[in-house]
Amino acid sequence: MARPFSVDVVSPEGTLWSGDAQFLVARTTEGEIGILAGHEPLMAALAAGAVLIDHDDDQRTTIAVHGGFMQVVENRVTLLTDRAKITAGDRDEAIEEARRLAESESPGF
Amino acid sequence: MASAELRIIRRRIASVSATRKITRAMELIAASRIVKAQQRVLQSRPYVSRLIEVISNVGRDSGGSGHLLSEVRDVSTVGMVIISSDRGLAGAYNANLIRMAERAIGHHTLEGRDTRLFVIGKKAQGYLRFRGYRIDQSFNGMTDQPNYGHARAVANLVIESYVSEEVDAVEVFYTDYRSVLHQVPTRVELLPVHPPAQESEEEAGSVSYSYEPSPEEILSRILPRYIEAATFGFLLESSASEHASRQRAMKAATDNAAELTKVLTRVANQARQAEITTEISEIVGGAEALMASDR
Repeated sequence: MARPFSVDVVSPEGTLWSGDAQFLVARTTEGEIGILAGHEPLMAALAAGAVLIDHDDDQRTTIAVHGGFMQVVENRVTLLTDRAKITAGDRDEAIEEARRLAESESPGF
Repeated sequence: MASAELRIIRRRIASVSATRKITRAMELIAASRIVKAQQRVLQSRPYVSRLIEVISNVGRDSGGSGHLLSEVRDVSTVGMVIISSDRGLAGAYNANLIRMAERAIGHHTLEGRDTRLFVIGKKAQGYLRFRGYRIDQSFNGMTDQPNYGHARAVANLVIESYVSEEVDAVEVFYTDYRSVLHQVPTRVELLPVHPPAQESEEEAGSVSYSYEPSPEEILSRILPRYIEAATFGFLLESSASEHASRQRAMKAATDNAAELTKVLTRVANQARQAEITTEISEIVGGAEALMASDR
């Protein structure tokens, strides 16, 4: 069993998800990145897309993210997103949801 | 038959107690809104504090190179964001904030600086327009329940006018929510972004991050987010303060109405008693006159 590390997904409206995870996949502006425990300190800009979090042995949470930042330091991962939504189901749905988040962004408000 | 005086007093009592019902309802609504607004303030804080953490890390690793939004210029024009409310009936909430903002405008003018006003909320707009200030941009419908989109709209405008050098600094006037009983009109400098104070120098200094993409790139992405998040925070604080002020003002109004009803009821009783006394003395007087004429 992989060692756990702590994850916080924070948006301006509140903390979206918080807990211990074994594995995390996110999409940065440079490409997809997988994080395991003990990852080197990292600061990355996130692209719109899906974030997958494997936690509690065999659970997987998918979160649709619309841009933001990821900070990895001392086994703590912080995802700062301006908009995010937990989606049930698989990653295709999350990607679809992320696209919707991006499109609902009307320029005028 | 009730006398004219008694009827007028009764009518006033009815009107005062109707007003009391309304203010009481507004008080209760405001009270429930405070709780929600307070929660939202608390929920938004982790995001801002994490952002600041990231900015201070990135700022250090990008060699402190000045980003556009943190570049300090000679200030000839100041952008002022004034956050008031759309509705009144909130005690001195708007008056306090507007007074502070107006004083600051006067101060800038005295120092030879130009001002650009970005005004949120109808109350400050009405006041400033009446006083002949030029309002460059106004926003309505934000303060009751602000969302992140509102904050983003304001932040974009602010960033745009800063980047285009239309303004050289941006100040925000909002009402800081300390507690239900205590709200303070506050002025903060939003732009240029000051590098946030490093809280624990040695702890933060020991980590060297790898960046994806470069630190400069991340900084240029993160600073606008920071302005947005900070603006969102100001809107939420102001909203919580507005509801708290309104609750207090409406509670005072309700109490006053209750007091007034009590006083008016006493006056009405007196008037009724006086009427009865007059009537009795009239009857007695009439009876005695009759008896006198019988004899």
